[in-house]
Amino acid sequence: MANTVIGSSLIIDGEISGDEDLVIQGTVKGKISLKESLFVESSGVVEADIETQNVEIAGRVTGNIAATDKVELKSDCRVVGDIKAPRILIADGASFKGNVDMDVKG
Amino acid sequence: MTAAINEDNLFAIIIKGSLSGGGNLVIEGRVEGQIALKNHLTIETTGKVEADIRAEELTINGEASGNIDASSRVAINTSAKVAGDIKAPRVVIEDGAVFNGSIEMEVKLPDDI
Repeated sequence: MANTVIGSSLIIDGEISGDEDLVIQGTVKGKISLKESLFVESSGVVEADIETQNVEIAGRVTGNIAATDKVELKSDCRVVGDIKAPRILIADGASFKGNVDMDVKG
Repeated sequence: MTAAINEDNLFAIIIKGSLSGGGNLVIEGRVEGQIALKNHLTIETTGKVEADIRAEELTINGEASGNIDASSRVAINTSAKVAGDIKAPRVVIEDGAVFNGSIEMEVKLPDDI
C-alpha cells in the first residue's frame, strides 16, 4: 500500500480523506478520515477530528480520535481530546488529557 | 515493607471503608471505599477494588473502579480492567488493558496549536 507523506514544511487547512496510509510530519487543521493507518510523527501538528483504523501519535494532536482498531500514544507525544477505540496504548512519557472509551465486547 | 491483602482472604475478608497508610500495599483481595496511600499501591490480577484511590504510584493488574489521583505514575497493565477518572503526571496503558474514563496529565501545549 502506497504511503502519502505530508512533509514537515506543509500546512493543510481542510479535510483529508482516503483509503491508504497517511504520514503527517507537517501541520493539518480540519478533519481527517481514513480507512487505513495514520501516523503523526514527532514534528507533526494536528488540530483535527480523526477517524481511522489505526493511529500512531508521536507528535501533537488536538481533537477527538475515533479508531476502529487501535490508538497508540508514543513517548513524548502531546494529545488533547477524546479517544474512542477498542485498543488504546499509552507509552510512558506520553502526555494526554481527555476521555477514553474502549468499546468492550463481551 | 509491603503489606498484602491476600487472595486467601478473598472470601473471608472484604474491606469496606477507608484505608490509609504510609507503606507499600499489594491488594490481591477485595477493597471497597477509599484508599489513601503515601507510597506504591499494586492491585494484583485477583484484586478487585471499588474505591477512590490516592497514592504516589499505582500499578493495576486486576480490576479497579473509582477515581484515581496519583502524584507520580499510574500503570494499567495488560490484564487490568479500569473504570474511572485518572489524574497523574504519568499514565501508561498497555495493549490488552481495558479502560473507560478520562485521563488528565497536566498537558502543556504551546499557544500556537
